[in-house]
Amino acid sequence: MPSPIDLAELPFLREALFELALLSISGGVLGAWVVLRRLAFFSHAAGSATFPGLVLADASGISPTIAGVAVALGYAGGVERAGRSRHDHGEGTALLLVAALAGGVILASDVFESGAVVDRLLFGTLLGLDATDLAVSGAVAAIAACAALALGRTWAAVGFDPDGASALGLRSDRADLLLLALVAVAAVAAIPAVGVLLVTAIYVLPAAAARLLTRSIRGLVGVALALGLAEGLLGLYLAYWLDVPPGPPIAVLGALVCLATAVLTRGRPA
Amino acid sequence: MSGPAVSAEGLAAAYGDVRVLEQVSFSAEPGQSVCVLGPNGGGKTTLFRVLLGELEPLAGGVEVSGRPAYMAQTERTRLDFPVTALDVAVMGALARGRWWLPPSREERAAARAALERVGLGTEADVRFGELSGGQRQRALLARALVQDAPVLLLDEPLSGVDPASAALIGGVFDELRAEGRALLVASHDVESARSFDLVLCVNRRQVAFGPPAATLHRATLEATYGHELIVLDGQSAVTVQHHGHGH
Amino acid sequence: MEVVDFLLDPLRSGIDRRALLELALVGSLCGALGFWVLTERLAYGAESLAHGLLPGLVLAALAGVPLLLGAVGGALAAAVLIALAASDPRTGPDAGTAVAVTGLVGLGALLALAPDSPQRLEELLFGDPLGVSDGDLAAGVALVVVGGALLAALHRPLAAMAFDPAGAAAAGLRPALVRLALLVLLAAAVAVAVQGLGALLVLAVLIAPPVAVRAHARTPAQAMMGGAAVAVLAALVGMEVSFHAHSAAGASVALALCAAAGLGAALRPSRRGARRGARPRSLPPAQASPGRRPGAA
Repeated sequence: MPSPIDLAELPFLREALFELALLSISGGVLGAWVVLRRLAFFSHAAGSATFPGLVLADASGISPTIAGVAVALGYAGGVERAGRSRHDHGEGTALLLVAALAGGVILASDVFESGAVVDRLLFGTLLGLDATDLAVSGAVAAIAACAALALGRTWAAVGFDPDGASALGLRSDRADLLLLALVAVAAVAAIPAVGVLLVTAIYVLPAAAARLLTRSIRGLVGVALALGLAEGLLGLYLAYWLDVPPGPPIAVLGALVCLATAVLTRGRPA
Repeated sequence: MSGPAVSAEGLAAAYGDVRVLEQVSFSAEPGQSVCVLGPNGGGKTTLFRVLLGELEPLAGGVEVSGRPAYMAQTERTRLDFPVTALDVAVMGALARGRWWLPPSREERAAARAALERVGLGTEADVRFGELSGGQRQRALLARALVQDAPVLLLDEPLSGVDPASAALIGGVFDELRAEGRALLVASHDVESARSFDLVLCVNRRQVAFGPPAATLHRATLEATYGHELIVLDGQSAVTVQHHGHGH
Repeated sequence: MEVVDFLLDPLRSGIDRRALLELALVGSLCGALGFWVLTERLAYGAESLAHGLLPGLVLAALAGVPLLLGAVGGALAAAVLIALAASDPRTGPDAGTAVAVTGLVGLGALLALAPDSPQRLEELLFGDPLGVSDGDLAAGVALVVVGGALLAALHRPLAAMAFDPAGAAAAGLRPALVRLALLVLLAAAVAVAVQGLGALLVLAVLIAPPVAVRAHARTPAQAMMGGAAVAVLAALVGMEVSFHAHSAAGASVALALCAAAGLGAALRPSRRGARRGARPRSLPPAQASPGRRPGAA
């Protein structure tokens, strides 16, 4: 077993460490709202929808994360415009995601013949994180924290009682659009570390476990952040030890934590 | 304050091409209470929507003092949301602007006072979803109180509420009227309408408007409720509710 | 004729012929079954099931047993786990399903990538029609025969349930049993189809055909026949493209299916211009038309 100290000493692992720490901040702050406002599927879809765009960007030298952010914003805007609730897992969205994944893999394997890219984009990478990824994750964490501070009351009022919130004069549509856009961009920011298929390991799993443990919104954010950080670091260590991308171990850890908390808090009122 | 607190003139409203409300004209002075009677789908909630500014009238106009406080039915709220009764009451302060700041001490104090007023002083930290039906209605009323609005729109505030809560809520209504606020209460209960200052009967169009003595006649009620009406011993009337037809 | 030769080239290769046969068999059943998947709103559940059976596939590959066994076992385990996770009222079905599916996909990837000889994860995810075995063909035939018989037998109960569940129950049908049978068939179809299209793309063969014919079919039977035809056609087009353009076979078929859905939906005959005139049965969303604020006194 390798020494955990390596995480802090080896340069490439240090970057991964910082990346996951930054992501756990967004995961705590936004993850709470993803769970409360039922955006889990939306966050997964936002990640998957960017897959072909990321392949293209990777092949043509554009920074994938920047390209991904552009696609994510477009996706969020499209969902909000369609008015079709993001809770309505319509068939159209499902097919869109299948087409995105199929298109991406054809582009990667057959057009650009960069097969290794597929594994990296699908499940994340230990070694390939660079300064741009850190910068984007840092920016997302900062923006998410500020937005949650400023808009948290509005998001809560809208989630609790949409009609009432409207009557209070809150611009619920704008507030929700911002939430969708943030979640979509945050999902893309997590892709370098955990991959397109497992962004929910950052934005849903820690918050879902936290939801079972706390009874207030503020507590939800805090516990989700702590759990996300712990799962991210431990998952990173496992990825290093087993020589696998970070996404899968973090996802498995997150799911096990959810299972454990569900069993331990069984019967407790929420 | 001069002039009516809330009024409508020749109001018509529609969803797309479907007209749901026609020829509504009424007015209420500060301190008056109006009972809005009508069957499901008859336009009560549409009227509230127009008064709240959420729906543009097709014709005619409305005038409302300030931004009305709205007390919706609790079925439309999420019971699994992790908010306490106090959190719900504090939401009323969002109407006063500065939504981007956390609740101030004054706002929290106002929320606690409102909870006391509706008899939930000791339940301030109880989760909304764990309150009883009547308590939830009172918490939503507290939210409306915190908003401190001159006009309150209340959508069936007493439906499914236990008698103790109903009495409490009724007492608060009287206090609000004494403070000079105007109340519009959508209701199914024809009997309770008699205790209001004014009654407005709507069934896709205005059937009648005026004091209870002048409006709560059999003819008016039949025009309002159609076959949903059951009349007992010639004087009092009971309406039959049809749930599930939309609102 | 050159065009004919061009089109027939894939069929000259034994491998491609078998692939096409398997896809046609599976596609025909799934294209028909898909109509009920849509009607009973099982699309999201089917997708979760398909993703969630990944660990089963990987374990089968590691153990050297037929993938079909892994798919069936994985589907069963996934169904139970997802149902349990989604039923927790504290987190809700949206988050609960995400927890189960993410955990299972992560587990599958971990099992596939950790060992010294990493399993061909990409084929498990995106399909491998060209690698179809005799066992897979047999499974395809069995699916069509048994599944087709089941669909035929259940046709009237399914239609009655879809139209009016309460009335159907009152008439003596057992909606719970019918639905269970449908779910079992769905799981079996997914397990068989996953060999050709992979866990991530198999949903297309269930959902795209009914979406393509939705606006054009007048009866369930038409929708099912049409769906089967669309699926087979899309399989053919996908394999042709894959053969000539050297693109991944499973992904090409999936794209062809999605394209068919898009085409079918876009070519929707616009008889029903009455959408606006219909009386809304429930309140439109609160932000219907904010409009101007009413004047303050």
